[in-house]
Formats: sequence, C-alpha cells, structure tokens
Amino acid sequence: MPAKRVIPCLDVKDGRVVKGVQFQNLRALGSPVELARRYDFEGADEVVFLDISASDEGRSTQESWVRQVARELTIPFAVGGGVSKPEDFTRLLRNGADKVAVNTAAVQNPGLVQAAAALVGSQCVVAAVDVKRDQECGWRVFIKGGKEATNLSALPWLRSLQELGAGEILLTSMDRDGTLSGFDLELLREAAKLEIPVIASGGAGKELHFLEALEAGADAVLAATLFHEGTLPIMQLKEYLSDRGQLMRLEGPCKN
Amino acid sequence: MITLLDYGAGNLASLEGALDAMGYVHKRAETPANAAPESLWLLPGDGHYHSAQHSLSESGWWGALRTRIREDKPLLGICVGLQLLAEGSEEAPDAPGLGVFPGMVRRLGPGVKVPNMGWSMTTRTDAHPAFKADSTGWLYFVHSYALAVSDSTVFSAEHGRTFTAVAAKGRVLAFQPHPEKSGAFGRGLLDHSLRWLGETPQEAT
Repeated sequence: MPAKRVIPCLDVKDGRVVKGVQFQNLRALGSPVELARRYDFEGADEVVFLDISASDEGRSTQESWVRQVARELTIPFAVGGGVSKPEDFTRLLRNGADKVAVNTAAVQNPGLVQAAAALVGSQCVVAAVDVKRDQECGWRVFIKGGKEATNLSALPWLRSLQELGAGEILLTSMDRDGTLSGFDLELLREAAKLEIPVIASGGAGKELHFLEALEAGADAVLAATLFHEGTLPIMQLKEYLSDRGQLMRLEGPCKN
Repeated sequence: MITLLDYGAGNLASLEGALDAMGYVHKRAETPANAAPESLWLLPGDGHYHSAQHSLSESGWWGALRTRIREDKPLLGICVGLQLLAEGSEEAPDAPGLGVFPGMVRRLGPGVKVPNMGWSMTTRTDAHPAFKADSTGWLYFVHSYALAVSDSTVFSAEHGRTFTAVAAKGRVLAFQPHPEKSGAFGRGLLDHSLRWLGETPQEAT
C-alpha cells in the first residue's frame, strides 16, 4: 500500500509564484524552484504547479523553471495549466516534469486524454476536474478555471477519464475551495470508487479536514493557502494523520 | 561515465537533474553506436512495456543490451527498465524480455488502485553488497505492472501482493520505483548502486 500523500499546490504566472509562502521564520516570494525545494525539505510528498500564464512569453519561461525544478527537487512534481495538445505533455515531460495535469482541454476534446496516455503513459496523465454541487446532476463539471459550466455530470465524467487512460484524478470542489470548511466528503466517497488514485482538493482549513478526506477514500490531499501561509506545517500534518491511523511517509530532511 | 539510453521513453531530464546534483557525469546516447561500451548503461523507461521494447528493438539497443548482459557489463534499469530485464510482461506477451531476472511481469490488482502511485515502504530482503548500509525506507513508485519476488530480489514492496522493488543479478541492478525522485533515501540507494557498478561521483553541482 502506498502512503497517503500530502501535496502543496503552487500557482505560477510568468515564471513567478503568484502568492508568497510563509515558512517557519521565512517569507519566501517568487521563485518556483526555491519554494518547491523548501516544500521538499518540509516533507511534502509531491508538488503541483498550476501555471496560469496566458501569454506566449509565460510559456517559454515555463520551460526554464520546469527544468530547474526538475534538477532541484528530490520528490515528484506535476505541472498543469494551458495544456491543450499531446505535444504539451511531451514538452513538459521532456523538461523534467513527472506528470502533466489537463483540465479544460480534456472536456473540449476527450480524445486528448487518450492520445496523451498512449504517448506518454497513463502514469504521467493527471486529469484535473473542477466541480460544483448541482441539483440536477449531483455535481457539475466546470472548465476555464471554474468560469464556465459544462453539461457534464461529474461522476460519469470521472469514470470516462479513467477509461480514456488518465492515471490520476485531481478533484476540486469549487463549493469548498477557499472556504476552509472542509472537503466535500460525499463527493470524495463517490470518487473513491474509481480504480485510479484521487487527489482531494478544495476546502482544507485544519488538520481534521485532511483526516476526513483520507477516511472518505482520497489517496492524496492537496492544499495551497494553508501551507503557504504557514498555518499548518506539512510534517506536523503528516504526524497528526499518522497518529490517527493513516499510513504516512514520515521522513524527509527536516525529520532527521 | 554514465550513458543514458535515449530511446524515446523515460524521463531523462529528471534523471539528469538528480545525477547532476549527485555529481555523476552522464551523457545521452540515441543509438548504441554513440554509447561508450565501457561506461555504465542506464536503461530508463516510463509508460508501456510494449512501446519501450519496440523502440529499443527498432533503434538497435535491444541487441546491444543482450550482448552487454552476456558480457556481464554494468547496467542499471529504472521502472519499465526493470520490467524489460525480466523474462517478459503480461502487458505484451509477444514481446520477450531480456531475461536477466526470473519471472513474468504481471498487472497489479485486483482489489487495489492501479496505477500504484506514491510512496511505499521498501524492505531489504537480501544482503546485496551494494546496499550494505541500507535497510528499509520510502520510495516513490508509479507503475501498473510488477515482477514477483524471486532469488534476484534485493528489496521488496507491497501493493495487494509483495513484489520486487529492486533486483540484482551479476552486474545488473534495477529499480521498479524512481530512486531519483524518492527523497534522501532514494538518492542514497541510487548512489550506492552507481558506486557498486563502478561509478565515482565528481564534485556535486
């Protein structure tokens, strides 16, 4: 059994991390490499970068920071944002990313997931899915950073993604995102029925919320603000989860 | 010097980053003609066993690897690299493996999540000289298929069943997990493997 993973998520724009990150005794701003290295040191099991650059310039900057992160990090990392064709997967992996996350483009062209899985293998393909509760269909899928509703119902869509060859689902509850009120556990219990791993995202506000998400069946938990602002050090969270019966990787440079 | 087999599968950039950080000199080679025979060959691999086996055959590497194994020259496999060194894989029954390690690679499950993605506790099962100082630790795995435990197994891990995490035979060592992505413990195992296979790190960059 693999350990449950704790994953910080960093938003990057034009090669810089958008929000500052508060580590113990240090407020680090800016460099994706520096922040990722710091998280590696603090015991993160993986790092997710969401590149929100819209410009061509942002794209070329991306290759350079992805390459640097690949050199510096001793843990895996995924990169998402603006991925729209199979070549985006090969380009990011060639520069050293371990996985690539796709969201909007997978909805617009589900064949992309299939093509990417055939090209680089399912293990490198993360399907990111943003959902909102909906009276009609349980949960509805949203695209374009949550700005646009689709006609897709979330649970069948997750199953399709698995069949198309996604290796993992990064599932964000838009209802809970930023509320610090806990993950959408009902959603996670449904998603946990998939055969592929599920990363829970959206709503983490305290240690207990992460435990609830893992008990609901998530394979990994992701958060941003809580880690960035130093409210909850990653190793402290992992020890908390371990003490409550979750299998966690309790080692890392800061542990020794 | 380490020759990285650049046959179109495997995350070379990430591997190169780790080797740089650890101070090892390395070079990519697209064909066996560009590979120094006396260097350590590193066989990476991500994705499908079948497509990896196919591209290795197409580019002439397969024959070169067979020769190399016969001559007992140093070789290190990672991920699908380990699977290719087994007798074959259920993923592609028509594509035989290099046959260094006994057994067929079989799909994980049922009853567990596939791919197995994440950190697993890995236990040493054999007193191999490369890993005198290592016992158990967490390593990062991403795979859907695995090789059963055999007398070549040096470390094992578990996901629904116990499987080979690290295998060794003669001058061939191989990892199912990614030691280059497995924190300090993984880097340690990779370092000990490279040293045992005859490499010496230069000044780390």
